[in-house]
Amino acid sequence: MSQRIEDFGELIETDVLIVGGGLAGNNAAIGAAEKGVKVLIVDKGSIERCGAIAGGVDHFMAYLNTDAWDTREAYLEWVGKIARGAVNLSVQNAVFCRELNSAIERMERIGCTLKQPDGTYYRTSSLGQPGPYFINFNGKNLKPLLAREARRLGVRALEKFSFSGLLTEDGKVIGGVGFNIRSGKFYIIKAKATILATGNTNRIFENPSGLPFNTWQCPANTGAAQTMAFEVGAKLANMEFVRITVVPRGFSAAGLNALTGMGGKIINAVGEEFMFRYHPSGSKAPRYKLVEGVMREIYEGRGPVYVDCRHLSESELNHLKKTLGYDKDTLPDFIEQKGIDLGKDLLEIMASEGMQGGPSEVCSSGIMIDEKTASTIPGLFAAGDCADQMRCVHICTTGGYLSGKMAAEYAIALNVEAKINLSQIKQLKDKTFSPLRASGDVSQRKFEDTMRKMLWQNAGPYRNERSLNVAIEKLEELERYFKEIKAQNYHELMRVLETYQILQVAKMMCTASLARKETRFGVYHYRTDYPETKEDFEGQIILWKTDQGIKTEFKRLDYNRIPEP
Amino acid sequence: MPPVIDKEKCNGCGICDLHCPLDVIYFDEKANLPVIKYPDECWHCGSCRLDCPTGAINIRFGPEMLFL
Repeated sequence: MSQRIEDFGELIETDVLIVGGGLAGNNAAIGAAEKGVKVLIVDKGSIERCGAIAGGVDHFMAYLNTDAWDTREAYLEWVGKIARGAVNLSVQNAVFCRELNSAIERMERIGCTLKQPDGTYYRTSSLGQPGPYFINFNGKNLKPLLAREARRLGVRALEKFSFSGLLTEDGKVIGGVGFNIRSGKFYIIKAKATILATGNTNRIFENPSGLPFNTWQCPANTGAAQTMAFEVGAKLANMEFVRITVVPRGFSAAGLNALTGMGGKIINAVGEEFMFRYHPSGSKAPRYKLVEGVMREIYEGRGPVYVDCRHLSESELNHLKKTLGYDKDTLPDFIEQKGIDLGKDLLEIMASEGMQGGPSEVCSSGIMIDEKTASTIPGLFAAGDCADQMRCVHICTTGGYLSGKMAAEYAIALNVEAKINLSQIKQLKDKTFSPLRASGDVSQRKFEDTMRKMLWQNAGPYRNERSLNVAIEKLEELERYFKEIKAQNYHELMRVLETYQILQVAKMMCTASLARKETRFGVYHYRTDYPETKEDFEGQIILWKTDQGIKTEFKRLDYNRIPEP
Repeated sequence: MPPVIDKEKCNGCGICDLHCPLDVIYFDEKANLPVIKYPDECWHCGSCRLDCPTGAINIRFGPEMLFL
């Protein structure tokens, strides 16, 4: 008897499938549902609380046309300066600038205003901005409010769901497959358009605390989108960059820009505000400079390094205490349990673990998108931190929404019915569940720990041609052991598949880094064999899969012209 | 260290299990209580505490983080 799709699992048909229900995924769902199409989101967590801002967020970058620095043109000029060589200004203009007003209006409408109770914006400046672009706001409930709006619009969510592969037909993406991480039930999702929105790649570098899930960004984000898009032939960009931040010592929490934005000073063991030796903006320097400064002070014996808020006024301290938990809900608990009072004591800080992500707050590492958020593969779109031109709360909100609209328009215009290939389903299902059948005794945690240590050593903030080639060779050796990692249940299966994704992203990262024969953004791409930043590299390293392995090419970008509105 | 559940205050709604982004918390139907099944995978995001309707969840950091 011939097999049917239903023999492999439950079939669901939708117009737009969104993989990842974080900030970008939820905004995409709203954008698509508002066009009247059928929308399905899948996520390993719940769409109310998952992704990088699960427990809240406190900042949204915007220009509000109040002054010369506060315009679209000034913003794009700054973006072109701080992310030169990674940011594409015309895509930025489309995914952020054109969508900014509607995003601010939408946040107001769903009940998560960017304003203070008195109706004003509380704006702070940090990370090298020419003016206070960060709007400080209470985003503790931004995620559940977005999820409520998505559900109100009829969006369906499959939660505790691990997405494990894309389905294709004649080079087009037509949906994908995955399983419930509690029951193991397998699903085949047929979709007219698919948006990948699974964030950046964490757990890829050794964690200084020794705790791999103690990460700055969400440790469930392990490069699923980058891996799956690569496997179906999409082009990726900005994959070479390492991203590190500065965090309280012991707790890799977001929220530092709230402290420096408010005027907190970063000092060393002798009380020197040393960042002025590294950058004219001192403690408000761009993030990659802060990281370099903190790492070097400690390495060269001038640590411990602290953030000092003791000079702040009582009202500033009160604002800080009230809002610090907006970005990382449990950061105030951590500070309190350490016995620290920010008005009286210093808070010790350190450089965080490395992650694989873009080199700035305005662009990321991942699927190369165009002005419509489309990838180079028909039917496949990308949003949020897994797209090369989105990042941070502001662009995940604006660009996420745009990707929803664009995917819906693509789905509506599509007039041929896709046909799912049964042997493709069988192959993907076998690959998904193979770690449950593995007979080896390699531990997933040890495998990942080894990979992290090896990558930090050879492909971390200091790299050269030899070390990168060594990393690639070791990744290939490690990959041979991958099939010996056994999963005992579906939760463990999800983790093993994440390990696989981290490994694939690591290979792309090292290969792209070999092609960028220069240093750019300090420790975010520091080649010890090419320590200079070169004008020749003002553009992106693009990569894609071929039968002969990963192919790369360099694409120059134009920074001489600000795109038209 | 992961979230700590106050058994006296817990009303057995299971939202902490549903909303944990890392699949760390499992609701035990028999005991009618949540169990921290994968404590090493806690991200300390605070989602469980934020959404607990009875305030039954506390976050306690261990010495491995407080005194690194």
